[in-house]
Amino acid sequence: MASIRAAFAIRTGLGHRLAPICLTACLVWASALGAATAAEPGAREAFVTNQEGNSVSVVDLDTMAVAAEIPLGGNPAGIAMSGDRRFAYVAAPESKEVFVIDAEARTVARRFPVGRGPLGIAAHPTKPTIYVADWYEHKLFVVDPESGKITGGIETGQSPSGVAVTPDGAHVLTADRDSNQVSMIDTATLQRVAVIPTGDRPFGITIDAKGERAYTANVRSNDVTVIDLIARKVVGTVPVGRRPYAVALAGGKAFVTDQYAETVTVFDTTTLKEAGKIAVGGYPEGISASKDGRFVWVACWEDNTLEQIDVSTLTVVHRVTVGAGPRAFGEFLR
Amino acid sequence: MVRAVAFWCAVVAALAVALPASAHGPTRKKHAETIEINAPADKVWAAIGNFADWSWHPAVEKTEATGNAVDATRVLTLKGGGKITEKMLKRDDAKRTMSYEITEVDVKVLPVNQYSSTVTVTGDDKTSKVEWKGAFYRGFMQNDPPPELNEEAAIKAVSGVYKSGLDALKAKLEAGG
Repeated sequence: MASIRAAFAIRTGLGHRLAPICLTACLVWASALGAATAAEPGAREAFVTNQEGNSVSVVDLDTMAVAAEIPLGGNPAGIAMSGDRRFAYVAAPESKEVFVIDAEARTVARRFPVGRGPLGIAAHPTKPTIYVADWYEHKLFVVDPESGKITGGIETGQSPSGVAVTPDGAHVLTADRDSNQVSMIDTATLQRVAVIPTGDRPFGITIDAKGERAYTANVRSNDVTVIDLIARKVVGTVPVGRRPYAVALAGGKAFVTDQYAETVTVFDTTTLKEAGKIAVGGYPEGISASKDGRFVWVACWEDNTLEQIDVSTLTVVHRVTVGAGPRAFGEFLR
Repeated sequence: MVRAVAFWCAVVAALAVALPASAHGPTRKKHAETIEINAPADKVWAAIGNFADWSWHPAVEKTEATGNAVDATRVLTLKGGGKITEKMLKRDDAKRTMSYEITEVDVKVLPVNQYSSTVTVTGDDKTSKVEWKGAFYRGFMQNDPPPELNEEAAIKAVSGVYKSGLDALKAKLEAGG
């Protein structure tokens, strides 16, 4: 029943215009969501890091309203979610620390220093371990989020930015921005097992749900590198809009934020052909998809918005104003 | 003794204030300026929307451009020396807006990195409003910038370029130029 109510809330949240089509659509959705929630909950909330506002805006994704604002400090940018979605981990490059947020309580549970330029951050899916990329030390730090202790550090390429862990937890990947490569690191041995070349200046990195492919957004060459993680080889390069920042995956498509173009470029992940461009707010940056693949949410740094894209129609269906300078760099949905 | 404690308190207080401001990595900043001009919006757009000629800006000595469409590049030679190379990113004449980025500039000329900017004209056949906004990083991209290349210096420089430009544009167009 809860999932049926949630489905109605999603539709009614979109406003009056959509009311006539709500009834039939919701009935279909309710059954689909019911099946999905039995296995795992879909995305209910977004935790948007506001770099200028020094806070996290918690957005209720059913109603697309800001439910809470959590003050942090330190110009927060990178974000990750614990495997059980109970905690959000936020990297603040100015104060050089990581905040651990209790997601339900909306409070900062802990904060601790990490390196000299923490930005990209990711969490292991099952272990209490987070990985923090240090822009200046050219390292990936392994951190215990419960104690705040740094338990390891692995050399990467120059200025690692995006970080992602494979769904099985076996490997962690960094997009090494100033080395034009991805480092693939074994999480058990903490050894780098592969270096894969990318386009010019890779920033965000996203791994698909099966752990078969990784996608990097290459800021300077205006394209996305598609990497086969089994073969550890590049299988394609897809041109996108100007100054791409990050990639989300939903419904067999990749959604790429183009900062300068103010668009999200969509391409088919099988054919690697463009499927459309969606106009969004100024400086679109962090982007992430719900697990059911129906919606993608994007943070727009210049316009201070979180925008909701319908994957089936490739249109923005809702937007909400969040704090100042939202970046949401990493996994920001729970 | 009391004086010594007071001295150290002052030092500690000064450090506490100084350290967080100086010892950090770069964060992208945004800055915008607007101005109202008593001239038709189309006329204002004809001036500021002409990527190939920005002689209306008091700092610009010469504009050398490859065109006036997306992907066009231009070199602005500034009065007193210094050059800025820019590239047009977006243009919409119906909406009277264009965006461009700086592809090459010495931080001694303008203390910014990864600078992009948008100019937009709104209004009617009598009055207009111009918005000039930019997004950029400071001049020094490593940790611990010198004061002339920190965030405050970048914002001050960009604000100066926008304000002096918009003031001159208003004066020129309201004079019937």
